[in-house]
Amino acid sequence: MTARRASLMVTCLGDLFFPEVGVSIVRLLRKLGVAVDVPADQTCCGLPLFNSGYHADAAAVAGRAVALFRDSEHVVVPSGSCAWMVKHEYPGLLADSALAREASQLAARTHEFSQFLVRVLGVTDFTAAVPGRVTYHDSCHLLRGLHESQSPRTLLGKLKGAELVPLPGADECCGFGGSFAVRLPEVSSQILAKKLANVESTGAGCLVACDAGCLMQMGGGLKRAKSRVRALHLAELLDGGR
Amino acid sequence: MTTRAEFISRIREQVQKTPGRFSAASARRPQHPAAEADTIRRELAERWPETLEAFRREFEGVAGVFHRVATIDMVPAVVSRIAHEREARELVTWHSAALGADLAPALGARGLDVHPMPESEPGGVAERERLRAIAARADLGLTGVDLAIAETGTLVLVSGAGRPRSTSLLPPCHIAVFDRTVLVESLRQVGVLLEAWHGDGRPPAAGAAINFITGPSRTADIELTLTRGVHGPKEVHAIFVEQPIRG
Amino acid sequence: MSDAELATPFRQRADGAMKDAFLQEALTIATTKFIGLRRDAFAGFPEGEALRDQARAIKEATLQHLDHHLETLIGNVERLGGHVHYAATPAEARSIIVDIARRTGARMAVKSKSMATEEIHLNEALEAAGITPVETDLGEYIIQLAHERPSHIIAPAIHKTKGQVAELFSRELKRPAEPDPEALTRIARGELREKFLQADLGITGANFAVADTGTVVLVTNEGNGRMVTSLPRVHVAVMGVEKVVPSFTDLMVFLAILAKSATGQKLSVYTSMVQGPRRAGELEGPDEFHLVLLDGGRIAQIGGPLREALSCLRCGACLNVCPVYRQIGGHAYGYTYPGPIGILLTAMLEGAPAVKDLAHASSLCGACVEACPVRIDIPRMLIDLRREVDDKKIAPWTERVAFKLLARLLQHPRLYRFAAKAGRIMQKPFASDGRIGRLPLFFGEWTRTRDLPPVASRTFQERWASEKDLQA
Repeated sequence: MTARRASLMVTCLGDLFFPEVGVSIVRLLRKLGVAVDVPADQTCCGLPLFNSGYHADAAAVAGRAVALFRDSEHVVVPSGSCAWMVKHEYPGLLADSALAREASQLAARTHEFSQFLVRVLGVTDFTAAVPGRVTYHDSCHLLRGLHESQSPRTLLGKLKGAELVPLPGADECCGFGGSFAVRLPEVSSQILAKKLANVESTGAGCLVACDAGCLMQMGGGLKRAKSRVRALHLAELLDGGR
Repeated sequence: MTTRAEFISRIREQVQKTPGRFSAASARRPQHPAAEADTIRRELAERWPETLEAFRREFEGVAGVFHRVATIDMVPAVVSRIAHEREARELVTWHSAALGADLAPALGARGLDVHPMPESEPGGVAERERLRAIAARADLGLTGVDLAIAETGTLVLVSGAGRPRSTSLLPPCHIAVFDRTVLVESLRQVGVLLEAWHGDGRPPAAGAAINFITGPSRTADIELTLTRGVHGPKEVHAIFVEQPIRG
Repeated sequence: MSDAELATPFRQRADGAMKDAFLQEALTIATTKFIGLRRDAFAGFPEGEALRDQARAIKEATLQHLDHHLETLIGNVERLGGHVHYAATPAEARSIIVDIARRTGARMAVKSKSMATEEIHLNEALEAAGITPVETDLGEYIIQLAHERPSHIIAPAIHKTKGQVAELFSRELKRPAEPDPEALTRIARGELREKFLQADLGITGANFAVADTGTVVLVTNEGNGRMVTSLPRVHVAVMGVEKVVPSFTDLMVFLAILAKSATGQKLSVYTSMVQGPRRAGELEGPDEFHLVLLDGGRIAQIGGPLREALSCLRCGACLNVCPVYRQIGGHAYGYTYPGPIGILLTAMLEGAPAVKDLAHASSLCGACVEACPVRIDIPRMLIDLRREVDDKKIAPWTERVAFKLLARLLQHPRLYRFAAKAGRIMQKPFASDGRIGRLPLFFGEWTRTRDLPPVASRTFQERWASEKDLQA
């Protein structure tokens, strides 16, 4: 274990809609001996602005984040898409600004949550908060942006009290896509319906993802269908005591 | 109308503002393609049995029918068996010079109507039309092969005098005769040979078309149901002759 | 698609496609099958990944000297006795081809499948000039008989059932047709064989053109490409300028990955390389060969933001994996080129305003980049198009204002916190049991099919600031 200090970038969706994810991450990291801080006045990584083409505004938001996390040793992000934004797009967005160098440095110090546990801390033994059969959905930015499919599966595979079952079409989009979900709601909903049919086919009681956007989409669909399957962030499931 | 000069200058203008954002390099071409082609041939001469076996596997994988005989004299028997099984009589064939052997008498003796294509320029339009009509109504088309690619099970045929394009295209059954001298392993090697044919080496023929044929004509355009023989042949046979055809 | 159909907003066209039960089934079956075929083809081909990188590098290198490579190509085609024509616009391309047809007295033209001729709407122009165009790719033949347009780049008629095709053949060809693919294919073979032998003019596209030998390369499975380039007196190939590759060595790299990406075949059945008109001693081959080089918006992108899209091989792999294409199919996009790459090509050919809605027809999931044989970064260019649509104020003002407000809010934590509080108050009438089931206005687009989590009674940052045990 190499990291003793980490800052949580809670992200807008994590802050506003899924505060318990942040709480779980703080508890887990602390148990692992990592000192956690949360720089104040966080808002958003700027991905929604970036994806819709408002790049000057996204750069301004990115600049704020770079300044906020200036002193962080490691930055841990609960969503693959936001981690991808910081790691892949900040350096380009801020390339012509005074923050260019810092943006690249922040990109290197930033980690998606599961990657931080497995690839930085090297810890993989946890106990499930919700026992039983679980299945895992690859969020697009984590899988194809950060090329990560193994870390979450390693953690879930070794999770005490849980049985990981494969999700058919795990690597297919859930239909969230940010503003896509409301610009083309019919298409987004049909993609979701196919995803959820796959989820139900696994017999899992718990659907895990590492992205608040996917969880909002899939969790919202499951709740609307009154499914017994719960959509949880990986951190919530790992947070079952050691 | 846009002229060549205008057209190219528009492109040049754009090319000059090209951002050099991506890694860029065209493939490394052989410096002396003919020499490299010779090297490939020499190396392959030693391992042709493996190459042939790989070719057979791939060729059968694309629904080709593979046959093997010891000498070119045994080819007519195979051809006539194929013909009889299909109740076929009319056969159109490349000229003997292009095939490397004159099989017409033997095929004729086995009851086939054999139409060899002429060795050189077939006269005027009317004569060309007549020959094409023969190919269009023939049941079988007999050709040679200029390359057989093991990686993909592909037959490469170069058009030219005495080796019309239609022989391997219009009849519903195409029969190709080849030997170890045309076997190659990979598409990469084919690249070297094509460079040689167009560079310092000698092409197999002087026609304007090179056709790669990988199995019978197919389509899956109706409900993705695989169907063979939509425009080209429904069947492709490859007869391997152990003894090199041209001795 | 006609102007009238295009007048229907994209969202409605997409919705209509999703209500077509047969189309839905056909799309699922076809795209799933293509995905599996492609995956298996590359699984058995370990060198494929390196070849994909190399193919991309070749396309890039070629673009950087496109003027030079085209001049080489032109020189070689002319040396071989062919004629080269230059079309800046679709209209110019149409008139070049119609002129050739008229001059040579052609009454009927057989065509092998070509997206470039679809793009320039050639068939309508030929018909208007009294020349009958006959599509000879089976899928294209079907949709030509049905007066439709292709719905997939490589499988143009995947939206039709065998029953529909049988009905179409019976009606249009005036002969009985059983709904059996084998029998239908046999009928088409018979009908089209006559046309191949009668036609005066053969029209093709080009998958590649090899500059240093003046070779036009056509890849087909049916053999129609060979027919069209061998039998008629005149052959016209229509080619986007970006299709040129420097040498045969380069060509082999592309051939090794093209069919695997498209249909999972190691090679398509026929790769036909034609080098000008019929030569001395040849029985077949055209007396005249014409190459029409097409700009149509491509040239401006050599140094433009859509440059990467000029590397597209038209394999269709990105369509099959696209979650949006898989729901709505090709027609809903409204233009010649569907799917994710189609949005970029439409922007290239028709201009950015044409894709103001289409640019958003993607969840940016990135499956297309992964499937693309030359790894075109489609999502990045879609985002750039969205940006252009915003910057040029083509996007609706309401949207631009909303995003400007969002930008303000995200740059000012006090505004952000205020918005959270406001959200909590405003959501009250709609939230129950920790879920929001129905929201008014724009937000209702979400809640029609999905619940929304309410803004937390205390945000994470509020809890962090106040809960001692969280901080300890």
